[in-house]
Amino acid sequence: MNEPRHTRRVVELKIPSELGYEKVAREAVATVAGRLGFSAERIADIKLAVAEACTNAIAHGSPPDSLTTIVVILTADEKKLEILVKDPGFGSPPTDVTVPDIHKMVAGKAKPGGMGLYIIHELVDKATFIKNHEDGSNSLQMIIYRMDDEAPADSNSSGQEEKSQ
Amino acid sequence: MSDEIQIEIQRIDDRTTIIHLAGDVTTFAEKEINAAYAQVSNNGAINIIFNFRENDYINSAGIAILIGLVTESRRNNQRLIMSMPSTHFQKIFRMVGLSQYADVYPSLEDAQAGVA
Repeated sequence: MNEPRHTRRVVELKIPSELGYEKVAREAVATVAGRLGFSAERIADIKLAVAEACTNAIAHGSPPDSLTTIVVILTADEKKLEILVKDPGFGSPPTDVTVPDIHKMVAGKAKPGGMGLYIIHELVDKATFIKNHEDGSNSLQMIIYRMDDEAPADSNSSGQEEKSQ
Repeated sequence: MSDEIQIEIQRIDDRTTIIHLAGDVTTFAEKEINAAYAQVSNNGAINIIFNFRENDYINSAGIAILIGLVTESRRNNQRLIMSMPSTHFQKIFRMVGLSQYADVYPSLEDAQAGVA
């Protein structure tokens, strides 16, 4: 039987809802993106987007309790890397993305900050909040498409995966 | 988490000082970066060069720290200069508009030449 070629890879991790642990997700996604053959520049972008999403989930989506966990799911296939950052839904996801007003911040008329979501939207191809009404959780789904010239680093292994599936 | 950044201060002359940063520019670095800025300000520096490395990391909280320093430096009639070889860093600076308020150079040599 000729089964479809398997190219999907899934990495799932849970981090404590505590600032600083977003670095674990950052390094994990860098490893995955590197294996997929993303350029160093795009890996830096993806790392920052994931870290910002985790930081938002920790700061706004969870109670201040390190026993709470943030779930990060990285799903790669031949076309894209999809990243899901899921929090317990402690806060409401933002309804829009505002462009940071650097002039107000520098003038001292606005507190420096609130740039994370804007940066995420600028760095990934798609960013969408998803509300799960069953468990109340909120997820930020981010999608980064693979470029034609970004061949997967482990392309030779796909044949072996095809046999084992 | 303050061990995530290492800071060295290098005085070039009466007017110019370099703050070398190595590591993660995040909320955990705020105290150290602000302390370094305060120290060089107290020593009378007019031109302050922040020297980042190629593989350093900055997030939105780190950018917010630097915006705070831009505000402070304008009050103090100082000039902030950023030396950053990372094109990712340069892109983020442009994205948030910070490059409108600080001179950005791709190398320390270029930054120092820009001050001279």
